[in-house]
Amino acid sequence: MVKHLVAAACGLALAASPAAAKTLVFCSEGSPEALNPQIVTTTTGMNAGRPMFNNLVEFVPGTTRIVPALAESWEISPDGTVYTFRLRRGVKFHANAVFTPTRDFNADDVLFSLMRQWKEDHPFHGTPGATFDYFRDLGMPDLIRAIEKVDDHTVRIRLARAEAPFLANLAMPFNVMLSAEYGDLLLRRGEPARLDADPVGTGPFALVGYQKDIAIRYRAFADHWNGRQKIDTLVFSITPNPAVRLAKLKAGECHVMAFPNPSDRETIAANPSLRLLQQEGLNIGYLAMNAARPPFDKVKLRHAVNMAIDKRAIIEAVHRGTGTVAKNPIPPLLWSYNEAIEDYPYDPGQARRLVAEAGYPDGLDTELWYMPVSRPYNPDGHRVAELVQADLARIGIRARLVTTEWDQYRAKLQAGEPPLALYGWTGDNGDPDNFLNVLLGCAAARPGGNNVAKWCLPAYDALVTRAKATSNRNEREALYRQAQQVFKREAPWVPLAHSIVFMATRKEVKGFGIDPLGRHVFEGVDLEAETPR
Amino acid sequence: MRIRNKIMLVGGIPIAIAAGIAVAAWLLLNEAERARSGAVLAGAIYRDLLVAMTVRDDYVSANPVERDPHAERFRERAARAQVQLAALGPLARTQAQRREVASLQDTLARYVARMDEYIAVTTVNDRLIAEMSLRAARLVNLADEARARQHASNADIITTLTEKDQQLRRLRDIVDRAYQLRATLWGLQTALRQPDGNDHGFAVAQISHAAGSLAEALGAGRSGATRELDDLTRAAAAAGPAETGTVAERLLAWCDRLLKIEVTAQRALQEEVAQLLTYSVEANETEQATQNVAVSTLKLGQETHEALTRRDADVAERKLARSGELAAIAAALPISPLIQTDMIDAITEWGERLGTTIEGIRKQNAMIADMDRTAAAMVAKARSLNDLFTGDADWLGAFIGHVLVIGATIGLLFGSVVAFAAAKSITMPLRRLQSSMLALAADPLAGRITESDRRDELGDMARAANVFVTEISRRERDLRHAKERTDETLAELQQTQADLIQAEKLASLGQLVAGVAHEINTPLGIALTTATLLGDEAQEFERALDGNQLARSRLAHFLDRMKEGSRLLFDNLGRASDLVHSFKQVAVDQVSDEPRRFEMKGWLDDVIRSLGPLLRKTRHMVTVDCPVHLQVGTYPGALAQVLTNLIINAALHAYEEGESGRITVTVQDAPELLRLTVRDDGKGIAPQHLGRIFDPFFTTARHRGSTGLGLHIVYNLVTNKLQGRIDVESRPGAGTAFRIEMPKQLAGEPRPEALAAL
Repeated sequence: MVKHLVAAACGLALAASPAAAKTLVFCSEGSPEALNPQIVTTTTGMNAGRPMFNNLVEFVPGTTRIVPALAESWEISPDGTVYTFRLRRGVKFHANAVFTPTRDFNADDVLFSLMRQWKEDHPFHGTPGATFDYFRDLGMPDLIRAIEKVDDHTVRIRLARAEAPFLANLAMPFNVMLSAEYGDLLLRRGEPARLDADPVGTGPFALVGYQKDIAIRYRAFADHWNGRQKIDTLVFSITPNPAVRLAKLKAGECHVMAFPNPSDRETIAANPSLRLLQQEGLNIGYLAMNAARPPFDKVKLRHAVNMAIDKRAIIEAVHRGTGTVAKNPIPPLLWSYNEAIEDYPYDPGQARRLVAEAGYPDGLDTELWYMPVSRPYNPDGHRVAELVQADLARIGIRARLVTTEWDQYRAKLQAGEPPLALYGWTGDNGDPDNFLNVLLGCAAARPGGNNVAKWCLPAYDALVTRAKATSNRNEREALYRQAQQVFKREAPWVPLAHSIVFMATRKEVKGFGIDPLGRHVFEGVDLEAETPR
Repeated sequence: MRIRNKIMLVGGIPIAIAAGIAVAAWLLLNEAERARSGAVLAGAIYRDLLVAMTVRDDYVSANPVERDPHAERFRERAARAQVQLAALGPLARTQAQRREVASLQDTLARYVARMDEYIAVTTVNDRLIAEMSLRAARLVNLADEARARQHASNADIITTLTEKDQQLRRLRDIVDRAYQLRATLWGLQTALRQPDGNDHGFAVAQISHAAGSLAEALGAGRSGATRELDDLTRAAAAAGPAETGTVAERLLAWCDRLLKIEVTAQRALQEEVAQLLTYSVEANETEQATQNVAVSTLKLGQETHEALTRRDADVAERKLARSGELAAIAAALPISPLIQTDMIDAITEWGERLGTTIEGIRKQNAMIADMDRTAAAMVAKARSLNDLFTGDADWLGAFIGHVLVIGATIGLLFGSVVAFAAAKSITMPLRRLQSSMLALAADPLAGRITESDRRDELGDMARAANVFVTEISRRERDLRHAKERTDETLAELQQTQADLIQAEKLASLGQLVAGVAHEINTPLGIALTTATLLGDEAQEFERALDGNQLARSRLAHFLDRMKEGSRLLFDNLGRASDLVHSFKQVAVDQVSDEPRRFEMKGWLDDVIRSLGPLLRKTRHMVTVDCPVHLQVGTYPGALAQVLTNLIINAALHAYEEGESGRITVTVQDAPELLRLTVRDDGKGIAPQHLGRIFDPFFTTARHRGSTGLGLHIVYNLVTNKLQGRIDVESRPGAGTAFRIEMPKQLAGEPRPEALAAL
């Protein structure tokens, strides 16, 4: 502020000079698979899209509390099947090189954004790369019966049945609001793919450019309905290696870094220029076994793997004690967590026997995929893979380590390609359904679905589907606890760890908070002073 | 024709001609003035326009910061030219001039408008160019910041790498020794499988040694692992040959787990180091690239600036394309994201401004070309306007010269002819009139002037002369009669005055006589009574003598009575005799006044005494102050009359009834002169009367029988007879003083006989 005043006092000579923009650099862990949250499922992708968009309703950062956003208010019919949203007025869309909005956000945009994901005959439904996995994994296509424009500022959504998490689903990243006008323009221009590559939203930041593996650049949107941001420029500097991220953070090349190596905790805490943020994450890191095809369609083999892996060693070596051994597919923080379930013991001998029983007396060769980037639930996929590889080797499973670029990794997994894959999940709405259904339900087991184990057990699916249809918490909890038992029995995964999530920022960063749902929220973040040189 | 008309004709024709010429000249001169002013203005406009165009060139070629004064000068010149053109409009005399002025006004307005546009565009362009510099500077700043950061980062990375290297060495140590331990354990297991267990002790010792070595490598950093290892090693040492196999198995498992962790840690650390090195190299390359972009941009800025200074739009266009490439490079390079947006923005904004500037330059160039065309037209018009006005002024000047010369010549000739004719028609009758009048002057009765029947001013003059002559004769007669009458009247008046004066004189003499008679009467009465008494006494004495009753005492008494009687008689008769003498003196003087010499004091006492009877009626006191033995030679009667009149005048008029005053007569002797003052202490004479008291018949007491001649007589006597002068000094309430100055000896010496006659 003082600087501004001085600049103002310096008079005309400086008036025309380019003001030093406030640039906030976030050293992110990897390239997003896309910039449009509608078509991503990784938190990396969601976080990349988040600054540019708003939803009808949103979560208060750090919580799963729902507040009005582009919908100012809403009504839910007593039977829970009709949602009527009244839309905020005067909400502006971003402009870009080809598009200048001529109107404010209205009901057409709501219909455009939802219909695109829902209706297969929508002109943007078949855009290459657009599979709307999240929308489908949550069962939205079957749930929604109709989306109606009542008037320009009122939208009514009719559901096939009551769905407890529906409002929370609308707050999730994939239900962002896009510009129908932009869509029309792109159709006319014959470049529909641009809708996802060069997205236009109503969010606090507008996209400036994206260079894969290098950076995503955003600029504060001056006309944002909730006011302009304090920083001028936001950059996601894509830096997969946590050591390099830390080096950059220390050098002041970035202000916020994702997921520091747990081994660097002390270094960060000791550095007066830095601040370490940590929170027990609403997450699960796991090893998925492809249950849809051999060899891991055999439950015995899956049990063997569960017994072979020394989870403690992983927690100790990789998480450095900052995580807990997982036994269930949901984190202990989440309601309905079944404490009573007993994990498989670490027993390589028994495991080796089970491998033989499963028909592989000489062991077997397979692939173990690991993610190339740090994840909140897994700070070092490679090393975890090496540890797992070593454990598996002891029971005769010779796993070859495979990885690919992060933005491709998810697609490979969702396609069901790897027999064994390290993966994980951070809950994004605080509902058990978000784990138990999205990651393990039959809807998500289709190719492209988030159920990377491709495990579909109707008995299990019935449980989670029933749980979703009721809003009775106790009933739901019972169903989910039961589902966890089924999961344990069938063992499509080896749940590895629930981690404490770390973020590090420079001291001058104000208003950045760590989020249990893995969201990196840069709205309202400010830089207190010039970055020290 | 009357002379007036002739003269008017004679005077009027040249005046009319002159006036005509003057009017024509005035009009023409006005026109000439207009033409000349026009020519001057046109010249000034031409010069101003040339200056304005030069100033425009100055403006175009000036440095941006120095442009303003040129713009100001241009506006000043153009405004002046516009004002002058506006002034020139009304001066235009011909349609062609007006057309040309209007046309030039239009052209100038267009030129000025173009220039204003040009200035506006230039101002914007200059600002843009300045902003471009700022952006280029910002770019360099950003690059410098990046470099500074990079240097700090390099130092940090080196520290980090050093630490990681140490960690790696430690890990390698651990891993190596763990492998040794495992080899030892394998050896032990092999040994155990041998039937002879002789080597057991040796093997256990080796395991202890290897474990110790590993524990050393693990060091304090791995206290947990060290403890576990310690426990296991002790168990192995304590175990008998039977349990050794199990213990070794456990130790082997522990060792495998350690290796699993440490090997992967080693691999992860190596990768980290590799990544850091890669990053470091990349970062330095990036930094270099950033510098390159900045330098390229600077260079580009320099080249562009030169192109812009030359206003070479095409070259600048090529630079613009290059700036686009640079922005793309900056966007593509992994430049520090902290500054990348700023740098791209700086380049893009620089490019945007350059784009606008190029448009501006193109516009400027077009404008300059257009202005040059306009300027050429304008100068041509200004020059033609100048020529037009100058030519007009010259022609008009010449024309006026001709008009004046010809007009004056014609006027002069015509005027001369008319004047000659008119003069002739006037002078001839005048000459006749002159001779008639001369004749008339010689003999007024010679008859009337013959020209009087003329109808012009000469006739008037002749008639007037006739009337004049007649009138003069009549007036002369009347005057003569009047003078005669006046002379008679004057004579009568003089007679009357003389009579009056004589009467006054006689009246005063009569008064004198009456007074004297009264005075004499008393002593004479006393003398008569005394004589009577003496006679009675004598009779008684006679009877006594007759009756013999004469006693001695009676005789003595009688003698006393006689003596007393005779003394009384003597006294009174003497007194009467004196009075008579005095009176005689005065009266004689007054009646038959002849000049004589006399002693002033004695004479003065006589006069005062003679006034005694008059004065006694009043209670005034008269004092005389006169030097003794003062001899004067003058008319005593006149002087006595003067004194008498003055004293009586004072006694009668200076005081109120019953008041007693003091009248002083002072005589002063001066060489040749006698100064005589009569002063009273009475009420004085009113100032308004003071100037008139010597006028005849002026009096304020006519009701008391005053004639108003007394002082007039005084005045006449003093000034005429006594050859002196008199003046009066009086203040109301402070008395009056009459001062007389007269010669002690009159010019005509009094004859000695006159003295004898007295």
